Amino acid sequence: MTGPISKKKILIIEDDRHIAEGLKLNLSLKGYEVMIAPDGPDGLREWREWKPNLIVLDIMLPRIDGLSVLRSIRLEDAQLPILILSVKSEPEYRVKGLSYGVDDYLSKPFNLEEFLLRVERLLTRAAWNDGEHPPAAGLTGHGYTFGGNTIDFDTFTAHCKAGRVTLTEQEVKLLKLFIANRGKPLSRSELLEIGWGYTGTTSTRTVDNFVMRLRRYFEDNPHEPVFFRSLRSVGYMFDHESH
Amino acid sequence: MALAASLCLYLYWYIGVSAGLTSVIQKYNLDPSQFFEINTWVVILVLSILVGIILVGVFVIFVYNQKTWQLYRLQRNFINNFTHELKTPVTSLKLYLDTFAKYDIPREEQIRYIGYMIQDVERLLNNINRILNLARIESGNYWKEFVEVDLVDAVRQFYQNNADLFRNCEVKVHNSAGTPLYYPINPLLFDMLLMNIMTNAVNYNESANPRVDIHFVPQKKGLHIRFVDNGIGIEKSEIRKIFRMFYRVGHQEDIASGSGLGLYLVQQIARIHKGKVTAESAGKGKGSVFALTLPQRVQVEG
Repeated sequence: MTGPISKKKILIIEDDRHIAEGLKLNLSLKGYEVMIAPDGPDGLREWREWKPNLIVLDIMLPRIDGLSVLRSIRLEDAQLPILILSVKSEPEYRVKGLSYGVDDYLSKPFNLEEFLLRVERLLTRAAWNDGEHPPAAGLTGHGYTFGGNTIDFDTFTAHCKAGRVTLTEQEVKLLKLFIANRGKPLSRSELLEIGWGYTGTTSTRTVDNFVMRLRRYFEDNPHEPVFFRSLRSVGYMFDHESH
Repeated sequence: MALAASLCLYLYWYIGVSAGLTSVIQKYNLDPSQFFEINTWVVILVLSILVGIILVGVFVIFVYNQKTWQLYRLQRNFINNFTHELKTPVTSLKLYLDTFAKYDIPREEQIRYIGYMIQDVERLLNNINRILNLARIESGNYWKEFVEVDLVDAVRQFYQNNADLFRNCEVKVHNSAGTPLYYPINPLLFDMLLMNIMTNAVNYNESANPRVDIHFVPQKKGLHIRFVDNGIGIEKSEIRKIFRMFYRVGHQEDIASGSGLGLYLVQQIARIHKGKVTAESAGKGKGSVFALTLPQRVQVEG
């Protein structure tokens, strides 16, 4: 195999500086281009701007935890290889990570050689997929239909109760999050963290306003919602009958 | 236990009573119905006492069970948190050692990474010491030496010695008395108390300009030292619980890691000094106040 023309980029989202730098050292020695993000929001920003080929993710992160970062990324990109590196080794955490769409899970302390080989393998596999599949869509694919509404995620349009609507990027993200969690309650803070990448201080009213808007688009009667229901003191839940 | 005992007693009494009854009837060859009248009442009385005992026993078992569950949950919490505190430095150490074994790294870079490793070893050591200190405080025969110290000076000293911990945080000491305040304290324990309160104030703080104000308020009955921070605050319902062993405010993993031991240690140390620590907060996001109350001071002239 010939060496890659452009270096593969790896983003490390890890709050412990020592571990992050140790990983960076090793991955750089292997010929990868490496960047470190010390917390959740930073990691999400670097993922968007720097467009890495692989992400190494810690779970216990300041501000937005690793699993929320993972879910947030998976709304938009289902193919990007992500490897979780966490001190939590119990099966329940592995299962949780895998169910949110992580590609690999290593528990700390880990074997360096194993880590490097897994990273290499993930990147190789991602390279095979590159040419064969259309650009990555989120967990929800390219379109979605429910209760007489059709959403096209590629063109950001919806044919719905309110007619033909052009959706904003944020509305699409929120819709994807609801659809990915169909039938499961989502709290306002979860919606904020995963859907917006915000934390803490931002008012949860933002969420309410967006849900109001979605109801106007998709509900027969926005005041008596069927699809985007409010759950008292919990948040919201999206659900609809199967086709 | 109580249940089993009462069951045995119950059977024993029943057998005794019915055996006695039949033997009496056989002996005197009397009309059985007469005796049954009396014995029925005895049996009812005995039975109701036993049922009472059983109920009390069940209640006691229930309460203990609750307690055990609570302890179990706290312990699990502690193990989870402490796992993180112990495994993170070990992971870092192993990572660098593996790297050194694998590659020949230039000397200058090596020195930097060895520096990290030394810090990791210190982190591990600190964590180990925290557990050992806890064990020693719990066992009761902790250091007995108390030294007369000016507390204002002790707090300032502490701040200077650990200035790097509070790099991003403004710390101000206010002494309304204006004079040194002498108190008999155990310096090592007092340092530990300050360290826990102050690191909490810094770690659980999301404000752009973290600050801690330390007020010394002499009072008739003793001395108040109030640590006022502008951190994330504490929910009303949590204020009492935070001093429990292994307790951590829910879902805080994402803000700072800890063992759930810090404030428990603080309270124990305050008790060793015959004082107590209380927490106040206007609510979430509104900062918190930790007040250390020490009993009547012993004035030392000079």
